[in-house]
Formats: sequence, C-alpha cells, structure tokens
Amino acid sequence: MQPQKTEQFTVPIGPQHPALKEPSSFLISVDGEVVTNAIVRLGYAHRGIEKATESRTYVQNLYLLERICGICSHIHGTAFAMGVERLAGVEVPPRAQAIRLIIAELERIHSHMLWLGVGAHQGGFDALFMFSWRDRETVMDLLESISGNRVNYSANVLGGVKFDLTAAHIGDILKALDYLEERTHHYLKVVTTDASFLQRTRGIGTMTRHQAEVLGAIGPTARASGVLRDVRIEAPYGAYVDHPVTTITDDRGDLEARFAVRIKELFESYRLIREVLDDLPPGDIKTRVKRKIPEGEAAFRVEAPRGELFYFIKSDGTDIPSRVKVRTPTICNMTSVVKLAVGHQLADVPMILAGIDPCFSCNDRMVRVNRNNGSDGWTWEQLRQHGIEYYKQRSQDYDPLVVG
Amino acid sequence: MKFGMMFKDVSGALFKKPFTENYPAEPTETPDRLRGSLVWDPDSCTGCGLCARDCPAMAIEIEVIDKKAKHYQMTYHIDRCTFCGQCVESCNQGSLVMEGGEWELASLSREPFTEVGERPPLVVEETE
Ligand code: SF4
Ligand code: SF4
Repeated sequence: MQPQKTEQFTVPIGPQHPALKEPSSFLISVDGEVVTNAIVRLGYAHRGIEKATESRTYVQNLYLLERICGICSHIHGTAFAMGVERLAGVEVPPRAQAIRLIIAELERIHSHMLWLGVGAHQGGFDALFMFSWRDRETVMDLLESISGNRVNYSANVLGGVKFDLTAAHIGDILKALDYLEERTHHYLKVVTTDASFLQRTRGIGTMTRHQAEVLGAIGPTARASGVLRDVRIEAPYGAYVDHPVTTITDDRGDLEARFAVRIKELFESYRLIREVLDDLPPGDIKTRVKRKIPEGEAAFRVEAPRGELFYFIKSDGTDIPSRVKVRTPTICNMTSVVKLAVGHQLADVPMILAGIDPCFSCNDRMVRVNRNNGSDGWTWEQLRQHGIEYYKQRSQDYDPLVVG
Repeated sequence: MKFGMMFKDVSGALFKKPFTENYPAEPTETPDRLRGSLVWDPDSCTGCGLCARDCPAMAIEIEVIDKKAKHYQMTYHIDRCTFCGQCVESCNQGSLVMEGGEWELASLSREPFTEVGERPPLVVEETE
C-alpha cells in the first residue's frame, strides 16, 4: 500500500450565504480540519452608489447614502451631512448635534446587540441569539417612535435633524436604557462564563496588538486587541466634543475579547445617552443650508458601530457633488479574517468572520485598473451587453427586458 | 466557568406569552410619528414643486395646469416612495403630511399605487 499523500483541499464557501446573509466568497484551503490558507473574494454586492451620487443633488444623496448600510444608516447620513455642512460653512445648532449623537448611540446599541446575536448563532448558541434579538427590539421600537421608521430613520437633513425629542420620548428612552442595562449585565456574564460558549471563543482567532496595527484593523475589532482606535476620541465631532467617550479596550485579542469589548461598549452608550439627555441643549433643531454648495473638498470621519467610516466630498459649486468617496469599516477588517483563520479549525472560520461584524454590501467598491494598452475600460452599454450575453449562455434571456 | 447560563431565560420563557406579535391576525399598535403614505392638502399648496425636486425617489410630480387660477395637479407614486420624509421637510407651506396612519400598503396590482390629486381652479366671483 502506498502511503497517503497529504493533499491540500480547498473548501469554497459562498458566494451565496457564506455565514451571514450577504454574498461573499471564501476559498479555504484545509489540511484535514486545519485551515492552511484563506482567500476572500468580495464584490458580489457592488451597487455603484458612489457613481450614482454624481447625478443627484446633495439633498437626494443624503437618502441614497443612508442606504449603503441598513444597520448603520444614520451614521452614513451623519457623515455626509456633516461633511456638506463643513463645505457650506454652516454651524449646526447644539440641540440638533445632541439629537444626532443620541440616535447614533441608539443605533450602536441595536447594531451591537444584532452582532451579539449573530456571533452567538455562529457559535451554535441560539438561546443567546434569540434573547439578545428580543431585547434589541426595545431599541428598534424606540427608534421607530422617535423617527417614524424602524430602519433608515432619516434623522438628518442638511443643517440639522428632522425631528425633536419630546418629554415622552426622553422618558421612554430612559426606561428602555434601564431595562437594557440589566439585560446587558446578564449577557456579559453569559459570554464570559458559559463554559460551552467559551470553548468556541477563548483563544480563538487571537490577533495580537502588533497584528492589529499592521493589518489596519479598526473599530471594536482593533480595540479588542488593545489598539485604542476610536474616532469619537481621536477626532471628536458634533456633540462628542462636549461629551467625551471612554474607550473600552481589551488586550487579549481573541473572540471572547471581541464579545466583551462590544458588550462593554453598550454600557458606555447607555451612559452617554443619559448624560446627553440630562442636559439637552434648548433651541432650534436645524439651520438653513443653501442648495448650491461652495466649491471645495471635505473629508469627514465618524465612528460607526463597526469602526471608522470615512467620507470624502468634492463640490464644484453646484447643487450636485462632483465626487463622493466612501470607505466603510468592514474593508479594513477583512484582511484580519484571512490572516487569523490560518491554523484554526475549519469550524471556527464562520465565528472568526462574524467576529469582525462584517457588512459585505457596504464594502464593495469598484477598482479601475489602468491598463497600459490604452483601453479605456467598458462603457455602460458594453457592460450591459456583456451581462446579457453572459446570461444567454446560461439560457436566461434578459434581452427583451426594458431597463428603466 | 459554568454551564447553561441561559437556562433560566429559556425555561422562564416557557411560561410566558410569545414575544412576537400575531400580525396581521391581530392589529398592531404603531407610534404616532410612523411615516405612512403621503397626504397632500391642495388648498395650501402653491405649486412650487420643491417637494418633487428634492424627492430622492422621484415619487412626486407637480404639474401646474394654470398658474393664475392656482390650478395644480399632484401625482404621487407610492410604489416609488421610500418614506424618507424629505418632501414634508422641503414644503414650506405645510401641505404635506406623512403621519396619516395609512401604512398597510400591500396590494396585488400596481394600479392603486399612483394617486393623482388635483387642486381645482379658484373661482373668482365677479362683483359689479
Ligand atoms: S417621503 Fe421621500 S421618497 Fe416619499 S415622496 Fe416624500 S421625498 Fe419622495
Ligand atoms: S413643496 Fe409644498 S407647496 Fe410646493 S408644490 Fe410641494 S406640496 Fe405644494
């Protein structure tokens, strides 16, 4: 008998439904159960939003950009609005800034609770998933009663916010925070003491501080490796200037630390919302912004639930931006997944992936490769024709469909 | 290290009502501010068209039929509307509201989704 040759076997995961409900593809090479290499392929959910902004007015873009992410929609709107306000040179009233902060923190709470559920589900702990999502409804209801929408609350307008907080809302928020705080203490205890869950998280996917810095990790993923990276602290914006945040870090860098950091950040959000509500500045909630934005460029950074969100806006003096560039947090954390998966069991990969709290649709961007042969890429029409041919070969004829 | 940290939650839930709502068998309560389909007040509208210009979904068309007679027609494509509320924000006459409570908008055909409202021409009575 011949001795068995050790062969590398590649497990394709995705692009449909890799671990989460968004498309991306992972090619995981394994030796037995152990991962020896991981390749990530993104780009299945590219929507061309950056290009689309160039044919809409600033006001319309506010809503388009909000739809980059369904979970952290408010922070996208805020980053864009604040960037445009900076270009227009307007000062947003303090009450509007405070309301923006409150909505942003409520959004962080629901995003982190959603992640807690997803993380637990990937680890096979569905009881935690169900209960954390049940409690997340508390925040969703709050956001719905304040804004009128459950997702895409559209709180921002250029120059302020759309709606004010009434005394009844403030009462509801404070009551909800008390309940959530109690539950969060419980969840923190669960993820740090439950033996079966700790087997899935302790010492898994460990990223050292050095690795986090080199791989450019950001947000809670970096903070769980002891890297203090938080835009709310490094470059406070809006109401964060007057209401500083205490950053939560953890030196362990494994999945358990990522759970602990995100859950502890919830306490910080509760504290911050209470502090701002306690001295909510009186006055207007919006100021007028002219339709035509003066020529210039603005870059704006905010801290989204998943980490730093960056916006670049270029204006040519009309009411339509000439360029909007968005960099979402997930793309910065993606490299860490590929690196950290190596050496772990295949079954740990979904957990490691969920550990960065990925959002694939947010991070898909187009890269234009300038070839030396002088070709100028494809036109819209060529691209469409290619698409039609591509599907024809797979016996689906989309030609008679009229687009528009 | 312990086991079964969620045991109390799970066993306790056995004796509680389901947390989910039995919609649509039972009606659900909605907050006052819930954004539903747009309600247009033709009497206060000046036909400025700002709502249509700012709408990110191109869901509103304002047609000025006769400017002097203040005769306007508004077409609202509910199927395109994203319920963002920008039109309400843009209208400085307060002619648009979204809190009308009309949010159960599912339908089997596309027809009911376009609403056309019209402001009848002002009748100027002649005095002698
Ligand atoms: S709510 Fe938004 S999408 Fe709907 S009509 Fe008004 S501006 Fe357009
Ligand atoms: S913005 Fe108001 S006043 Fe102007 S056309 Fe629209 S509804 Fe009428």
